Amino acid sequence: MTTTERAVSPVSEENPSERVPGGRDIWFFVLFESAIFTSYFCVYLFNRTQHEQVFLLGQSHLLLWLGVLETIVLLTSSWAVARCVQHARAGRYDGSKRDALLTAGFGVLFLLLKVGEWVRLIHAGHTFTSSEFFQYFFFLTVIHCIHLLIGFVVLGVLWYQLSDQKRRTQQTVETCATYWHSVDFFWVVIFALLYVVR
Amino acid sequence: MEDGSNRRLFVAWLILVAISLVYLWIDHSATHRGIPTASTVVTVVAICFALIKVRIIMREFMEVRGAPQVLRRLTDYWVLLMAIALLGVYFAGKAVA
Amino acid sequence: MRRPALLDDPKRELWLAWYATVAFYSLYTVVFFIITRTQPPGRPWYTPTQVVGWFASRHEGLLIGFGLIFILGGLSATSIALITYSIRRMSVSRAFAYSYLIIYAVSAVPGFLFICVAMTVGAFRPGRNPEILRWLYDLGFLSFSGTMGVFLIGSLIWMVAILLDKNRVFPAWFGYLNLCNALTEVVVAPSWIFHAGVFAWNGVIAWWINVVVFGLYTGAFIFLLRNMILREDFGTGPLPDLLPPEGRGRVLAEYMSP
Repeated sequence: MTTTERAVSPVSEENPSERVPGGRDIWFFVLFESAIFTSYFCVYLFNRTQHEQVFLLGQSHLLLWLGVLETIVLLTSSWAVARCVQHARAGRYDGSKRDALLTAGFGVLFLLLKVGEWVRLIHAGHTFTSSEFFQYFFFLTVIHCIHLLIGFVVLGVLWYQLSDQKRRTQQTVETCATYWHSVDFFWVVIFALLYVVR
Repeated sequence: MEDGSNRRLFVAWLILVAISLVYLWIDHSATHRGIPTASTVVTVVAICFALIKVRIIMREFMEVRGAPQVLRRLTDYWVLLMAIALLGVYFAGKAVA
Repeated sequence: MRRPALLDDPKRELWLAWYATVAFYSLYTVVFFIITRTQPPGRPWYTPTQVVGWFASRHEGLLIGFGLIFILGGLSATSIALITYSIRRMSVSRAFAYSYLIIYAVSAVPGFLFICVAMTVGAFRPGRNPEILRWLYDLGFLSFSGTMGVFLIGSLIWMVAILLDKNRVFPAWFGYLNLCNALTEVVVAPSWIFHAGVFAWNGVIAWWINVVVFGLYTGAFIFLLRNMILREDFGTGPLPDLLPPEGRGRVLAEYMSP
């Protein structure tokens, strides 16, 4: 085998039946939290069907392109953290630290876009209590943002792992990345439900 | 090897971004003169696309593709469950409204 | 006569505390859901007349049920004490244990006792002014649902302790479950604003879904505390793994133990 072939093996070839990426515990969390979010989404969808006009009217005040932009920003941050994991697995910690910074950077960008969006809506008179649609809008986006803020703490743990040669483990790196991806895919569904669903 | 998996991640990202952009077109087709109108088709398509993205994120970004079969099956069932729950509640709601 | 084994078992106090914990949560469930019927919560949009009716239909239940809580509610201390003990057994600083203990001991007053007091005062004189009755009704339910901030921080403290712990007292998945529980405390915050709807104190999101999560969380920690006691070696290092029980449940035990 040449050195390039041996340097790093893609995940699917590396004992595929042994390793749960990040460990079983974080996946328990991801799936459990998905279930909770899904229950919130179901409540939202049901109420939407009962008060269609109110929801449509509220939704018309949202800027779809902004939602799409936010989605793309968060997807990119997810991409960065996935690359971070791969670089770490290959032992290229400088590259993975750079990716971790990119992840955080895109995360911050998402946060800024979100806050800007909230400010714009509130100035236009749409608040948590102004209509049923905006109850759900602010609830879902705020609770998602709380997950995002926790994600920054997790990225801090990730950074610490990447920086400290003695204490790092690949599993913890993957665990942190798995959490971040969950924040990303929660947003993917929230975006579709708030901005697009009719 | 690493380039291969890097490229794979990039392609996954491209697909995810492309689907996100498709939403712009879906929305455009469901908005008449600036006023969004209710549409079952748009709702179903939007939810399905979202869950397809979720599955891609899980498979490619979260590395479920190379994980034990238990996790692969579990995540697939979870996405399916979400689809059934969301679409089921939506249609039940429409029936009751 | 041979001494009963329990008198010699060094873990007997722990088991006493554990059974008291189970007793407390059973009492809590029966009192709140069945005797007093204060859970699921009354509707926030009730007019004073409707509140009078609410109290009237629960008159004896409130007095007897919460009377029981006033006598036996101290059992809640065993749950907090056992969890504090578990945090002390961890490799993390004792500050975590003490913080948890203080937070939960304090939060029991507004989060648990206020509603008992408010509702028994309301039931005590049925002829009371309806406006005052509704005031008591609001006080009871808002204090029960709305003082979640304290539980939120407590859950986070426990979570951080579990994730930092090297003694493997609790599995990491339970640490993360603490985060889920903490987030549900955030979800209940809007109940201070809404009189009706899914975010009111009786709403689908602020109450029903939260109760499911809380119930699962409580069931999980009662089960894990039991595992901890079984594994306890009274040392300061990592807890030994749980030996698989004979027969059924072995796979579950092996999966669930850290």
